[in-house]
Amino acid sequence: MSLTTGAPMVETELRSATAPAGHPRPAMPIRKVGVVGAGVMGAGIAAQVANAGVPVVVLDILPGGAARAVERMLKTEPAPFMHKGAARLVTPGDLEADLALLAECDWICEAIIEQPEAKRALYARLQGVRKPGSIVSSNTSTIPLAALTEGLGEEFAADFLITHFFNPPRYMRLLEVVRGPAARAEAAAAITEFADRALGKSVIPCKDRPGFIANRIGGFWMQSAINRAFDLKLTVEEADAAMGRPLGIPKTGVFGLLDLVGLDLMPHVAASMKATLPADDPYVLGLREHDVILRMIAEGRTGRKGKGGFYAREKGPGGERLKRAIDLWTGEYRESEKPQLESLGLRDLRGLAEHPDRGGRYTRAVLLDTLGYAASLVPEIADSIADVDAAMRLGYNWAYGPFELIDRLGAAWLAKALAEDGRPVPPLLVAVGEGSFYRVRDGRLECFGTNGAYHAVPRPEGVLLLSDVRRRSKPLARNGSASLWDIGDGVACLEFHTKMNAIDLGTVEMIGKAVAMGKKGGFRALVIHNEGEQFSVGANIGLALFAANIAAWGEIEGLIEQGQKAMRSLRDAPFPVVGAPSGMALGGGCEILLHCDAVQAHAESYIGLVEAGVGLIPGWGGCTTMLRRWAENPRAPKGPMPPVAKAFEMISTAQVAKSAFEAREMLFLRPTDGITFNPDRLLADAKAKALSLAEGYAPPEVKPLRLPGASGRVALAMAVQQQVALGRATPHDVVVCDHLAETLTGGRKDHTEETTETELHALERRHFMALLKTPATLARVEHMLETGRPLRN
Amino acid sequence: MTLYSAPLRDMRFVLDELAGSERLRALPGCEEVGPDLIGPVLEEAAKFCTEVLLPINRSGDEEGCTLENGAVRTPKGFPEAYRGFCEGGWAALGADPAFGGQGLSRSIGMLVEEMICSANLSFSLYPGLSHGATMALSKHGTPEQKALYLPKLSSGEWTGTMCLTEPHCGTDLGLIRTKAAPAGDGSYGITGSKIFISAGEHDLAENIIHLVLAKLPDAPPGTRGISLFVVPKFLPGEDGRPGARNGVTCTGLERKMGIKASSTCAMAFEDAKGWLVGRPHKGLSAMFTMMNEARLGVGVQGLGIAEVAYQNAAAYARERLQGRALDGTRAPDSPADPILVHPDVRRMLLTMRAMTEGCRALLAITALQHDVSLRHPDAVARQDADDFVQLMTPIIKALFTDAGWEAAVLGMQVWGGHGYIRENGMEQFARDVRITQIYEGTNGIQALDLVGRKLGAHGGRYLRSFFHPVLAFIEAASEEPAMEEFILPLSKAFGRLQQVTAEVAQRGLRDPFEAGAAASDYLRLFGLTALAYAWARMAEIALQRAEGDAFYRAKLATARFFMQRILPETSSLAAKVLAGGETLRAFEEAAF
Repeated sequence: MSLTTGAPMVETELRSATAPAGHPRPAMPIRKVGVVGAGVMGAGIAAQVANAGVPVVVLDILPGGAARAVERMLKTEPAPFMHKGAARLVTPGDLEADLALLAECDWICEAIIEQPEAKRALYARLQGVRKPGSIVSSNTSTIPLAALTEGLGEEFAADFLITHFFNPPRYMRLLEVVRGPAARAEAAAAITEFADRALGKSVIPCKDRPGFIANRIGGFWMQSAINRAFDLKLTVEEADAAMGRPLGIPKTGVFGLLDLVGLDLMPHVAASMKATLPADDPYVLGLREHDVILRMIAEGRTGRKGKGGFYAREKGPGGERLKRAIDLWTGEYRESEKPQLESLGLRDLRGLAEHPDRGGRYTRAVLLDTLGYAASLVPEIADSIADVDAAMRLGYNWAYGPFELIDRLGAAWLAKALAEDGRPVPPLLVAVGEGSFYRVRDGRLECFGTNGAYHAVPRPEGVLLLSDVRRRSKPLARNGSASLWDIGDGVACLEFHTKMNAIDLGTVEMIGKAVAMGKKGGFRALVIHNEGEQFSVGANIGLALFAANIAAWGEIEGLIEQGQKAMRSLRDAPFPVVGAPSGMALGGGCEILLHCDAVQAHAESYIGLVEAGVGLIPGWGGCTTMLRRWAENPRAPKGPMPPVAKAFEMISTAQVAKSAFEAREMLFLRPTDGITFNPDRLLADAKAKALSLAEGYAPPEVKPLRLPGASGRVALAMAVQQQVALGRATPHDVVVCDHLAETLTGGRKDHTEETTETELHALERRHFMALLKTPATLARVEHMLETGRPLRN
Repeated sequence: MTLYSAPLRDMRFVLDELAGSERLRALPGCEEVGPDLIGPVLEEAAKFCTEVLLPINRSGDEEGCTLENGAVRTPKGFPEAYRGFCEGGWAALGADPAFGGQGLSRSIGMLVEEMICSANLSFSLYPGLSHGATMALSKHGTPEQKALYLPKLSSGEWTGTMCLTEPHCGTDLGLIRTKAAPAGDGSYGITGSKIFISAGEHDLAENIIHLVLAKLPDAPPGTRGISLFVVPKFLPGEDGRPGARNGVTCTGLERKMGIKASSTCAMAFEDAKGWLVGRPHKGLSAMFTMMNEARLGVGVQGLGIAEVAYQNAAAYARERLQGRALDGTRAPDSPADPILVHPDVRRMLLTMRAMTEGCRALLAITALQHDVSLRHPDAVARQDADDFVQLMTPIIKALFTDAGWEAAVLGMQVWGGHGYIRENGMEQFARDVRITQIYEGTNGIQALDLVGRKLGAHGGRYLRSFFHPVLAFIEAASEEPAMEEFILPLSKAFGRLQQVTAEVAQRGLRDPFEAGAAASDYLRLFGLTALAYAWARMAEIALQRAEGDAFYRAKLATARFFMQRILPETSSLAAKVLAGGETLRAFEEAAF
């Protein structure tokens, strides 16, 4: 393969089918879906289709198997369904009896046993049932496409694709799609469109090669990481620590990941790769059996689902929890130990790879194996390095794809290191030379192509990424905690960028600044959005704890007041404000959304007022807004007490919505607020919503509330005493509930009078401060910061 | 001849009236700590210190220690004094009753230590080091190690050492080179050189138990690879008696500025037999558990010298006749007035006194919390108290030893040219106390400990143990009009400290250099504010009892002096801290 004479980096057929608006090819809409096989993958795919609001038939070979799978999923954590109602869109059935149910489906996804014969037999039966032009796809992870369509005729091959989901299908964003030479472009386009917009997946086009992209590289990486640990005599903890933080691989590392997926899976993957890859492929050459691992599998020590794996948790003689780890040489458990190697304390990746201790030598060896292999696989498995990186980020949760890792190390460094070890240097690595695989030109991200030139990293139509805006422009305003960006068409975007997007004084000040700039006519609408894992985990309780510990009460109360003012200013601004969260929006992060004029939420938004968990109550208008939301809810019973009871129940138990749909049920979102499945499309959707509100915008009117006062508090106190009697409320829960009840019932007011927002905000402040001064609340805050878990004191 | 009279009245005041010895009696194991116990213990200690230790302080300084054929001879009178010390039960005072100790509370023990340090700082080093070794073994030793060593250390029959420093490293112990090779029988062969080892070799006791930091063969680099070993000078035999000589020898005595009667040795370990104490590679954390105790002890040394320097300066100022008072002659029948009448001499004496009594008060408050942290039945109460001790430890070490040095220098100054003359004893205080600012972690290291380890720990929880009670005190005492003159300056300093603390914590998070640049000034600012709190509390007590009692009147007058003439230093300290570290960073290295 010559890089210079090879094909220029063309976008694959698949992608051109979805892309530019200038060449519209109408994709067949997918209105109903069928899934065959109700195993973990099939059932999970069906659930995600239902989450998207699309009816889905799921059939299983075992009588009643599909119905049982749906039942099971309603109890599974993390939940495959985004809300209980989604399950009603799933029609379970038996493969033998109910095959006809597939007749109405526009897409039939097969997720049965990994046997070509079984799959082909099923496809043959589908041919008699499915409607013309419907699409059939397989969720296979190992079988070549040609082997699946063999003998099924041209019409079937034209409608057939491989759609490879990752487990669990709701949460893993990668969808690998393989389109065979005979398949219709429209079929690929329709599935891509549906998977992207409705299911929220990032669709990565793959070649029909074993393991596609993610499992080919990911499987090879795991194999190398295991082999090298044995060769270089690392403990499992050392190996996992080396693979974890420094490389940006999840902290489970390699042995922890094996425990998660199951050790017994390994021999199957190995056998499949051996059967399908050439004998001289480095993957096949590296296949090794380790006696200790074989013994573990034989003894049922297959990981978290089995009797423990490389790690195990045991109860000690005194009932204490012990963390144990396997000694890789004896196969016996020993006490788990924190790795002590100097190299593992390094943050710099190259420094780690060059460190002479065994942690450094190990990292170097695994990186050389994995990155050298990945670089040799383009264009065999994919045409674009950006697709390879995206697949590893989305399918294996790596923070950096292999080519991004190479850039962190230096491509020339890697080439030199490979040459030093007498290993082949992949042509792509030779071609990039002293350069890097990615660069930014004129504010655009470009990647190195197989033709030796740089190409813009393509974005699907309708995708607006804040990271792209950041590359090409300067912020309108910026401080250490937040920035304000111009995202075009007169819309500004307020971005948080603290750790976990915790809200501090800088964030509050930037909200004030944004509102002031908008008032001066700087923009027509404001979107609040960021690309962090979490939209915002709430106020920075670390700062609050420190301030409380030095008794800086005046400063803390001032910040509460300033925050309330900022929240009101968002709502009362003369332009629309749209919140666009993804991930957690907790505490203060939730309160920001509650003060937006509209919200466009990623379906995977986890919203809640969780202050009670750290012994506090919402102080930035959270109590006040939740009262109003329930009071204005047309379906809620009338009278002063029901809204108070609802808000009290939710806040006192720190309930968190586990999806945007649940957030809607809990009134964190309004019926008019939008939900976007693909986070890459969230900002564009939010911007469109903001623009739709901008014309003739008037801020909402804020009416006073009628609250029950002392009589309401008596009712709430009785409810709390019941919880105490049931052992569900701790002594400090009672204290927190008292303060919350006092706030929500309107303090000294009662239902004959109106309680204004100003009065409610003053109540929030007073009771927040009172709680913050209790040692039990400070102990809760400290515990949360140090362990990430609530303290039940 | 230097004077010393133990300040028993003031000690009883800070113990009983300020810290509250009734709170001490509420603790398990302290039920009997009543007035009939405290009084006799302190009085007996005072008697021993003035009659036995004080007379050999000057002579010990002149004679020093001598090394001959690997044996160290302490100055004349020291072996006898040490024997008297043990026979009087003073060695066993604070030790665990399970191993023959008396289990006396730290609150009383610290005051006894102050007296010993005032009378003879050099002498205090010998039992002081034994105390550290006892702590290490009782916290981290095996039951066998405890049974073997603790009774002998408690009784004083054997003494202990702490062997940390090596010629090339002191503060940064990660660099140590001393090796421990497994001997195969559970023991280790220790090889290496240690310097600055107090009580490393002497003629006071029949055996010396060295606690040695060394590295095992598979040790990780840096401070995570240090292990602690117990290495006796004579290997105890089956009967527990000292047996064969171990491979540890004194190769030299350091020639030093002060504490000349304390034997400060260079030690050579040549395949010396030792046993692991605690877990492998965890030696430094084992050391740290007693480091706090040791640092409080060094703070007490500073206090002890400040007290004795003050007493001698005040006595001299009363007798020495020079010049006439600026506000009218006091002694018309004498050729001149005593220098006590001069405002600048008064300034010096009151500065010494206000710092000394303030430090003693803060020590009593801290010592009581220390006792609570060790003995209280409730875990939360123990933790709260320990938080306070953790926070105050670097402050007490640095602030008290600085105060000791300042008092020693001021004392010399009051004596004029005679203060510079060796036989008068004033310059010995300065020479002796100077080391306390350096050893057991220099005062700069204490400041780093405060800003680096204590400020941010657990979200600032240690700070709560100071800031919350002080604010509560200010709020409560504000209601009393007579307290205004004390509460106003205290609350001003307190507000400044809050502001500076938040600033130092924030800057330090962003840039550790800034925290380091702020550290020493910040520690002093904190320390002076803590003293202001102690003084305001003392003033509150004294206000109720001042009528007709000179002791309380003097307390009030000293409190006023502190608030008006010492505490304002906090505003300049705050300004220095807030100025930041840029000038420290910017200076070109080559220009130093």
